Amino acid sequence: MPGRSVVVLALALRLLLPSAGQQHREEAERIMTTTPVIDGHNDLPWQLLKRFNNQLGLPEANLLLLNDTHTNIPKLRSGHVGGQFWSVYVPCDTQNKDAVKRTLEQIDVVHRMCELYPDTFACVGDSDGIRQAFQSNKVASLIGVEGGHSIDSSLGVLRTFYRLGVRYMTLTHSCNTPWADNWLVDTGDEPALHHGLSSFGKTVLEEMNRLGMIVDLAHVSVETMKAALNISKAPVIFSHSSAYSLCQHRRNVPDEVLRMVASTGSLVMVNFYNEYVTCRDTATLTDVADHMDHVKKVAGVQSVGFGGDYDGVSRLPTGLEDVSTYPALVAELLARNWTEEELKAALAENLIRVFKKVEEVSTARRSWGHIQHGDMGTHRAQGHIEHGNTQSMGTWGHIEHGDT
Amino acid sequence: MEMKRNTTKLLWLLMFSDIVLFSYEKSLREQAIELMQDARLIDGHNDLVLRLRIFYQNRLSAVNLRELNKTHTNLAKLQAGFVGAQFWSVYVLCSAQNKDAVRLTLEQIDVVKRMCNSYKELEFVTTSQGISDSRRIACLIGIEGGHSIDSSLATLRMYYDLGVRYMSLTHSCNTPWSESSSKGMHNFYPNVNGLTAFGQEVVKEMNRLGMLVDLSHTSDMTAKAALSISKAPVIFSHSSAFSICNHSRNVPNDILQKLKKNKGIIMVTFNADVLACGRKVVNVSTLADHFDHIKKIAGSESIGIGGDYDGVERFPEGLEDVSKYPSLIEELLRRGWNETELKGVLRENFLRVFREVENVRNLSKLMDVGESETLQEVQNSCRLDLRNHQPQKVRSFGFSSVTQPLSLTFVTVSHLILYYES
Repeated sequence: MPGRSVVVLALALRLLLPSAGQQHREEAERIMTTTPVIDGHNDLPWQLLKRFNNQLGLPEANLLLLNDTHTNIPKLRSGHVGGQFWSVYVPCDTQNKDAVKRTLEQIDVVHRMCELYPDTFACVGDSDGIRQAFQSNKVASLIGVEGGHSIDSSLGVLRTFYRLGVRYMTLTHSCNTPWADNWLVDTGDEPALHHGLSSFGKTVLEEMNRLGMIVDLAHVSVETMKAALNISKAPVIFSHSSAYSLCQHRRNVPDEVLRMVASTGSLVMVNFYNEYVTCRDTATLTDVADHMDHVKKVAGVQSVGFGGDYDGVSRLPTGLEDVSTYPALVAELLARNWTEEELKAALAENLIRVFKKVEEVSTARRSWGHIQHGDMGTHRAQGHIEHGNTQSMGTWGHIEHGDT
Repeated sequence: MEMKRNTTKLLWLLMFSDIVLFSYEKSLREQAIELMQDARLIDGHNDLVLRLRIFYQNRLSAVNLRELNKTHTNLAKLQAGFVGAQFWSVYVLCSAQNKDAVRLTLEQIDVVKRMCNSYKELEFVTTSQGISDSRRIACLIGIEGGHSIDSSLATLRMYYDLGVRYMSLTHSCNTPWSESSSKGMHNFYPNVNGLTAFGQEVVKEMNRLGMLVDLSHTSDMTAKAALSISKAPVIFSHSSAFSICNHSRNVPNDILQKLKKNKGIIMVTFNADVLACGRKVVNVSTLADHFDHIKKIAGSESIGIGGDYDGVERFPEGLEDVSKYPSLIEELLRRGWNETELKGVLRENFLRVFREVENVRNLSKLMDVGESETLQEVQNSCRLDLRNHQPQKVRSFGFSSVTQPLSLTFVTVSHLILYYES
């Protein structure tokens, strides 16, 4: 019967010729070889604490072999991860208890991770450091504090975190601080305390601008988002949040805020957690791509990034199960006609642009003898570069922007 | 006639001796100053930073450190005293133990850094070379009391990264792992004697990092334990001689002898209460007695200076503030100390110790990072116990099995099979 043979022939041809999907996949790998992904948020340090009490010397903590976390070194490599903000999250339950110390311990474990695996990780503290890590084929490793409760309302502690290499702070986790409201205020689960940022909260943000620490608005309430976007002199990020329009979860970013993201040159690094992607407990890779398309549509491709939240959540989409899967997502975006330029922007260039701008704002604010809040006017001379603490920082080699 | 001649001779003799004596005193003072210009003092302990917190809440804009007159210390006086390097103590009160000691310590470290970056007379350094090279007043940081690390080796490491270069194992309170020389001032951990196992880990980690172990304020048992474990020379940043005044803050002869073997240093302190044991007259001579004694027991190479200015109230007559150090050097010259010994006391002995500590760090590269804990001793309500922690949102890990994407071939083949079978 002729009809049947045609079908068989068609099927055979499909078998023999490379599929469009495969082509996209190869293209994705090619692009990511020169422009790997900089991911905004990974909670491996939390897993190291929970599983191993930060004892990296234990044989079961070997990051080359670890196989029941989303993240390990072989997966980072095959996922073409070139930069990662490691979260030094400590639970909200530590607020008003030992949050500061616990945060120091998490910062310490990231430093030690870089020291123990110097062929894989390069702990860096600026945008130039990221580029250098790309050149030397290492994973540029940066640190993000997740939750203002970590600073215990102390600008001295905030400055200390900067000196220790922290380069973003998420203003809240899932609890209000004495100076900022979190997303649970929007669900009605918690009362609004500040309707955004208190006066001290604004001081914190200004100090972050002065230091050159990126302001992260994941986990905050909508009012806090708007307050920060209005006040901040530098662009901000959402290190791991998705689009509210597609999934009405209050961890996500509503369109009106996306428009402010666009006008400030800021960045939304899309979160992969099923609950934020589809508002259900299942999702697929294409659902995540929908979020990226949406942010691109409303805020422009310069506002899009990747913030997987790996090892910080329990349910991830089919096709994005662990950190080796970024190329599959990039392949999907290629299928949706994203250009190579656009992909490079989302993968890395947008984050680098934001980071550079944050550094510029910091340099400007220091050299203008800007009043240092909370501890008042020490009028600065030109912010010199202090290669501080390099003796102790081994692979760290960060530039400590002088008189912090 | 003869008597008149003798009287004249006597008068001439008296005049001459007056002149000689007068020029002898002036020249000692001058000698002291010349010496100190050449070998500026490295002082082991100053609590100005605590005063800044108490008086000004760390608001540096509210104070001019050059002219400040509420304190023993200001920049003009430090220069007049020929201070070339100062360890600023970032002490926080023992009452903060098990509360917010870590935060408070970070804030004190922060104010030192801001202070040293704000005045051209000051320069923050973290190495022995940094001290040697500095043409300004080199600033370093010392933590005063192990309660500042909240029993966390990671916190100790972070302090090192921030530039802290010594830690006194205790202040006037026991920590869960070390015993203080002060008894009865605080109620913390009364059953701790000397150093616990964890305390030994702390000392080892300090050796590995290159942080000087400071034994001022520790009990004799703690000091002996540290001296026997430490692979690097240790210091007493501000203590004096027990033999001269038997105050618990001072160092007895047997420990001085161990210190000599250890090639460490005791930076003699000026606190009148520990120098004179209640005697009313406390002056430069009282202090110099401590120097002479320690030189006899442990050699001048074991001696340095740690004034404790702005950390205590009473100082010897003639040594009221940080501009007066030359008076001490003058007195030691008078007592026959030579230039080499005095340069040692002023800076060379400390630099030797610091360099050796740095050397031990460099040789420790292959040592394992300290990862021990001391969980049992430190449970209290200001600590989150993560072992029984239920997260607020579900952050627990539930990794579903990896689904293999169906290959196109498989789909095709199955279609084929189904098709032909129909």
